Amino acid sequence: MALEKELATFKAKLPDLKEHQGKFVLIHGDEVVDFFVAYEDAIKAGYGKFRLEPFLVKQVSVTETIHHFTRHILPFNSARAA
Amino acid sequence: MPHFTLSAPLNTGPMLDMVVTASMPRLLALQAEGQPVPVAQNIRALVDTGASCTCIDPAVLLALGLQPTGKTLMTTPSTGVTPVEADTYDVCIVISAPGNQQPLLKAVISVCTSELIHQGFHALLGRDILRDCLLTYNGSAEFFTLAY
Repeated sequence: MALEKELATFKAKLPDLKEHQGKFVLIHGDEVVDFFVAYEDAIKAGYGKFRLEPFLVKQVSVTETIHHFTRHILPFNSARAA
Repeated sequence: MPHFTLSAPLNTGPMLDMVVTASMPRLLALQAEGQPVPVAQNIRALVDTGASCTCIDPAVLLALGLQPTGKTLMTTPSTGVTPVEADTYDVCIVISAPGNQQPLLKAVISVCTSELIHQGFHALLGRDILRDCLLTYNGSAEFFTLAY
């Protein structure tokens, strides 16, 4: 499953990440690499450091952002599609 | 202020063409690894103020050879009230305007993915991009203008 390990790391370490509320965290495997104000900077750092290896960029938030769509669509998840 | 006006027929709604490529950081990583650079995809998008995030069909992202770099939660009428986890991808989006106007460029933007091609377009252009635009929808005259 894509980013399974990174997502588990994010969830496990979320209580420690809360002081970085609003920033974007870069996670590779079980390592929390760094925090960034801008999404673009986190992506640049991810590709710069890990090239084409999987990495996760996610905004730190106490209440996770949910994207809403009024149209009838089904979210695509590579893990479910595999 | 760069802008363009396009038709918005009642049956299809406000649609536009845009170009999607891998983000520049990913393109640089591909080059550094000696990997081929994917061909940019010309796609059709529906301007959708009911989408909080831009969403692209997985076939487009597959053609670009992308891998997810994020996870998010989505709710739609199809998912019910419980949010569903979905992959997100970093892409570059370019929407051209006529004349010598600068294009609408999002060099690195996170997009969701959902199968859309069967609905007659490849993407929903959501409020994450529209937040930087002025959208005028003239329903009676069936056109819309996007300024940015």
